[in-house]
Amino acid sequence: MEKMIYALLSVKKESDRLDSMLIGMQGISGANLYSLPVDEITAVVSDTTRAGLITDSTNAITFAGVIEALSQEFTLLPMRFGSLMESTGAILKMLERNYPDVQQNLQQVEDMLEFGLKVFCDSEKLRADLMEKSEIGTKTTVLSTPEVKNSVYRDWVNKKLKEHRLEELLLTHVDSVVAAITEHLSRMNAVCKFKKMLTETTIIDALFLLKKDMKTELMQAVGNLQKQYPGLNFVMTGPWPPYNFVEITIK
Amino acid sequence: MNNNVIDQSKDITILELLDRVLNKGVILTGDIVISVADIDLVYLGVKLMLSSVETMEQLKKGKTIKES
Amino acid sequence: MSENKILFNTGSLDGLSEEIGKLTNNDESRLKLTPDNADSGLAKLVLTLVELIRKLVEKQAMRRVDGGSLTDEEIERLGETLMKLELKMEELKKHFNLTDRDLNINLGPLGDLM
Repeated sequence: MEKMIYALLSVKKESDRLDSMLIGMQGISGANLYSLPVDEITAVVSDTTRAGLITDSTNAITFAGVIEALSQEFTLLPMRFGSLMESTGAILKMLERNYPDVQQNLQQVEDMLEFGLKVFCDSEKLRADLMEKSEIGTKTTVLSTPEVKNSVYRDWVNKKLKEHRLEELLLTHVDSVVAAITEHLSRMNAVCKFKKMLTETTIIDALFLLKKDMKTELMQAVGNLQKQYPGLNFVMTGPWPPYNFVEITIK
Repeated sequence: MNNNVIDQSKDITILELLDRVLNKGVILTGDIVISVADIDLVYLGVKLMLSSVETMEQLKKGKTIKES
Repeated sequence: MSENKILFNTGSLDGLSEEIGKLTNNDESRLKLTPDNADSGLAKLVLTLVELIRKLVEKQAMRRVDGGSLTDEEIERLGETLMKLELKMEELKKHFNLTDRDLNINLGPLGDLM
């Protein structure tokens, strides 16, 4: 029967504690969870049935719940949903083969938590504000020399150019917000990842990895950012297991 | 807080969670079985292609936005 | 897993879950090819890619115009070409009954295609 892997844990001398914790937990489709250790790395797995293979939110939430519970007690690397191997033996071999990489990734996330920060805006209002502050609205964009008479094509280019400049302006503004976030977090020794302009209204999607005891400080920083940019909407979620901070593809 | 707000925040939590558990985390490759039930292959293909476009863009810019 | 993970938010949550939903995998914007819709499905796929490239070209062109290195004549011809491309695209969209929204793919964690 195939095994589903939930997470790879750093377990040194607490294997008894892990095993007793697993007894009280259930995996996908109510399956029992058990540990497969190789030295200081332990995979937490369960047997899977066909129903457990379906990618639906019930299964995904159960899967995430197991990872979440384990992450309260152990440093771990979450596996992506749907990580299956054919046997216990194959999992042990995989752990041996990837031991140094896994070990290194575990060290990087030791005692760290992941937080997500999304910044939303009313994009039309933001565009209008930026337009007002800049000269785009008033300045003639492409200067035509007198001998070139205005044509529909040139008007079209002017219209597009205006849009292009507004987008650039928006991007510069988003960059300045990213810079402000980085600055507010600079004393926290956080690992940061930023994605910009994901949709019309989601201008920033940021991820932070930082020490557990920094949570209050992070919330304060986000509060200050919200005050600094009242027109934007800051939403922070977490703490999460370090889903976005594993840099390893297991062979 | 009324019920509606609680529902919405729960909703957001679940969406954030699903994004992580389905798209992030350690990936297994090679001879390992990966669950593909429900996954739209065309969608996946386009997504892969575009993520490589994104990577190319970043390479061209000469940096990824990552600070520590 | 019903725990609320929102640590900070002062604004309204209205529309926010919808927006976050756009960033995660959702079915509606996926390309679905089945034997029944092979024609329009393929048109949608092809036009999506064409539209993506057209927009990239347009953006690059505007960068060049903004850079100021093009002559008036070049700008004129560029405008003519790009404007005709845009009109042609509108025609094709109408022909296949597709909207701008149809030609955008939600790329989950990567956000919208366009």
